[in-house]
Amino acid sequence: MIFMPKKLEPFPFLSFCKEPNASKRQGGKREMQFLTPPSRKRRAEAEAEAGTSAGTSGAAASPVSDRRIVLYEQREAVPFQVPRASFGPSDQLMCTYHCRQMVKSEFFVALDTAEKENAEYKARLAALNEQLYKIEEEREKYRDEASFLQQELAASKARENSLQERFLKEVDNSEERYRDQLRRISELEFEIKKEMDSRVAAEQFTETLKETVRELQTKLESLSDSSDREINSLRRELSYVQDESKFSSSKVTAELERTTLRAESAEEEAELLNEQLIGLKEQLDECLTQKGEIEHNHSSSNISPSNGSSDDDKKMIKLLQEELHNYEKEVQEARKLKSSQLNSELLKEKLLEEQSRRERAELELSKLHELQVKAQKLELELTSWKSLLNDIPDIGSYSDIPKKFAELQKEALENMAKLGEITAQLKEIKVAMEYADLSKQRAETECMLAKEKVESSSLEVKRLQLMLASVTEERDRLRKDSSASNKDAGPSDDSRVEELEAALNDKEQMMKEMESSLQEHREMIAHQHAELKLFNDRLTDESKKVKSLERESDRLRHEVALLESKLGHGDYSSSNTKVLRMVNTLAVENEAKQTIEALQAELKRTTERLQAVEELKGQFDAALPEKLIQLKNQIAVLEKREERYKAVFAEKISVFRKACCSLFGYKIVMDDQKRPNGIPVTRFTLQSIYAQSDDEKLEFEYESGSMNIVMNDYTSQTDIAHQIEIFIRKMNSIPAFTANLTVECFNRRTLC
Amino acid sequence: MASRTVSKDIITLRGSASIVSEFFGYAANSILYNRGIYPEESFSKVKKYGLTLLLTQDDGVKSFISGLTSQLSEWLEAGKLQRVVLVIMSKATSEVLERWNFNIETDAEVVEKGVIKEKSDKEIMREIQAIMRQIASCITYLPCLDEACVFDVLAYTDKDTTVPMAWVESDAKLINNPQMVKLHSFDTKIHKVDTIVSYKNDEWEDEE
Repeated sequence: MIFMPKKLEPFPFLSFCKEPNASKRQGGKREMQFLTPPSRKRRAEAEAEAGTSAGTSGAAASPVSDRRIVLYEQREAVPFQVPRASFGPSDQLMCTYHCRQMVKSEFFVALDTAEKENAEYKARLAALNEQLYKIEEEREKYRDEASFLQQELAASKARENSLQERFLKEVDNSEERYRDQLRRISELEFEIKKEMDSRVAAEQFTETLKETVRELQTKLESLSDSSDREINSLRRELSYVQDESKFSSSKVTAELERTTLRAESAEEEAELLNEQLIGLKEQLDECLTQKGEIEHNHSSSNISPSNGSSDDDKKMIKLLQEELHNYEKEVQEARKLKSSQLNSELLKEKLLEEQSRRERAELELSKLHELQVKAQKLELELTSWKSLLNDIPDIGSYSDIPKKFAELQKEALENMAKLGEITAQLKEIKVAMEYADLSKQRAETECMLAKEKVESSSLEVKRLQLMLASVTEERDRLRKDSSASNKDAGPSDDSRVEELEAALNDKEQMMKEMESSLQEHREMIAHQHAELKLFNDRLTDESKKVKSLERESDRLRHEVALLESKLGHGDYSSSNTKVLRMVNTLAVENEAKQTIEALQAELKRTTERLQAVEELKGQFDAALPEKLIQLKNQIAVLEKREERYKAVFAEKISVFRKACCSLFGYKIVMDDQKRPNGIPVTRFTLQSIYAQSDDEKLEFEYESGSMNIVMNDYTSQTDIAHQIEIFIRKMNSIPAFTANLTVECFNRRTLC
Repeated sequence: MASRTVSKDIITLRGSASIVSEFFGYAANSILYNRGIYPEESFSKVKKYGLTLLLTQDDGVKSFISGLTSQLSEWLEAGKLQRVVLVIMSKATSEVLERWNFNIETDAEVVEKGVIKEKSDKEIMREIQAIMRQIASCITYLPCLDEACVFDVLAYTDKDTTVPMAWVESDAKLINNPQMVKLHSFDTKIHKVDTIVSYKNDEWEDEE
């Protein structure tokens, strides 16, 4: 919108000067009086005379007194019409001639002076007119400039208005956006606080749970290790048991064979002994028959006594009796020998069996010890597990633990999902903040532009004001000059002056309006400055919030990177995921094929062996069923005896151990082991009865007849090591070392 | 210059599953060739994804990979497959040396409701091509496999997935303190596949 100034009709006007005494106003107009030099006294007297003579006429006045240039005819007509009748004719004529001459001379003088003055005034007028013309030109220039400035002002006003409107709109928009963003930020902050609190709580909970999970995992690992160890030990035991069973089965078969052989040998011996018995019996019978015969002969010979033959008979009888006795003795001795042989063989077998049983019992005892230790450890672990179960909330039994794990993992996953959502929200906030920053920057730049424009417009306004002030000063000056110069100019200049005054007034009004608009602009600018300050404050707050959000986003990004690394590492949650593998892999296939072929070949061999064994068994079964039953009965009897011997041995060995412990002061634990190179080694662990802790144990290894000490934490102590150095290394005497240690422990105990 | 109009092709769940399983087959072959698991002469060239790729001619490996891809396709159609990992292990020590991790994100809406998605086939092929190029260029930064190696494939499935006949549950065969390199990913709008290769830290690198 372009405003064009009104086209003022140029009118020539004198520069108006404000007169100090111009106070006459008639109908709102000022009367300009041209001041003329003061009249002379003559003029005054003449005027007075003329005044008295022409008192009745309203228009009577000398040109000098009236200060009007009156034509001579009129002038002559005026004064001489009235006073003619008052004077005499000659005197009057002389007087009038003199008066006329005087008046003429005075008139000429006055005319001259008036003409001079007029010339002067004309010159002055001309000069003033020139000045006026110049001033008018300058005025026109200034007017053009003023119009141009007004146009520019109007344009700048319009631009300002449009800028202000735009700025206001943008400010309103940005305000609305800021408010929305503030609302969103406050909501998000609230949510973030909530999430942070929940996250902190979840983190703490997850940390506690992680710790418990770690502990549980370590315990699980330890348990699994222990279970693995137990499994391995059980497997070993199984293998031992299997070996033992094989050994026992082989033993049983060997015993069977032995018993069969024994039985055969016993049968043979029994046959032999029977034969011997039969022989002896036959001999006995013969002897008895001989004895009977002899007795009969003796009795028959008693009738015919004959001393010589009775002595012979007696001797024969004695001999026979002695022989009988001897035979009986021999038979008894043979029986005794037989029984002793049987007993010795039985005892030997029993010894062997007892030895093997003793070895087995010792093994089992050592295993028992180990099992007891394991059982204690397991009991401790169980108690610890139970205490853990009590510590962990919402868990009543072991089966609840994996569920709890799954729940915790679910919670952790949910927290991770929430974290992901929070990151997404943060990203949205970031985007919104960036957009707000951009809009803020745009608003700032526009504010800067508006400021610059306002400043430029204010500068222009100032310049215009200065120009206007200078113009008003010149106007006043010119007014003064024009009023001083144009007092005598006449009524035409007054109208021009009036027109100029009207134009001045209009300009003054316009200036006032511009000043008022300037003030309004200034107020607007101040208000905008205040708003800008407010927005800047808000922007700083928002930037701080953005920085804090950026820090949080960095933290979350770091966490996301950690999660991605975990993902890349291959971690997974066992509650949601399971890992499957194709079994029929190529390498395994080939190996499986090979193993299958090998197993099939073994199967064939074992089936062939089984068939052969079954055939043999059938043969064996067909041949000696009764013997087998007998042998089985014997085996049952032997097993019962074995159990009895075991029980007795266990009692004996416990008594023996206690006796050894009480006599020598050491609890001895024996353990058979195998070195990695396959050499069997027996390990003895000695603990003194005067030991102050369970760690004070001595370990020895018995290998092929030599006993060696094994260094451990207890024996590596300085005093113990010193004793070992002296007694074992130097003196090669373990009993001395153990005795010395016992004495020292006893002294320590008694002193304490 | 004339304006390009991007034509979009319709992609179904089955189609996407076949694309992903096929990709895995070619990727596995490419990895086996580039890492020298099998001798070079046992591979032959084929054209796929706008590239010349190498496929094994060993019957055993072929049948193994074909069985694998068919099972993976089945799982993908059911939306049960979460991840596929190709593990390279030392033959002598069974130590895990490399893990090629293909993470799969499935659009649950498509699996539940059978929604159809649209994406240009060319775009998908281009994305797969980029991954294949990266697999081929991996020999520049992965450590040399000096010893004889074997490979195995692990599938991370949902907990409720029934275990097929030829599959067993296994451990994850993780690497301690691995180095990881993230490769490109491709997206069929139904299945998104991210590739990460993690490998055992080389001793030389540790010393450096």
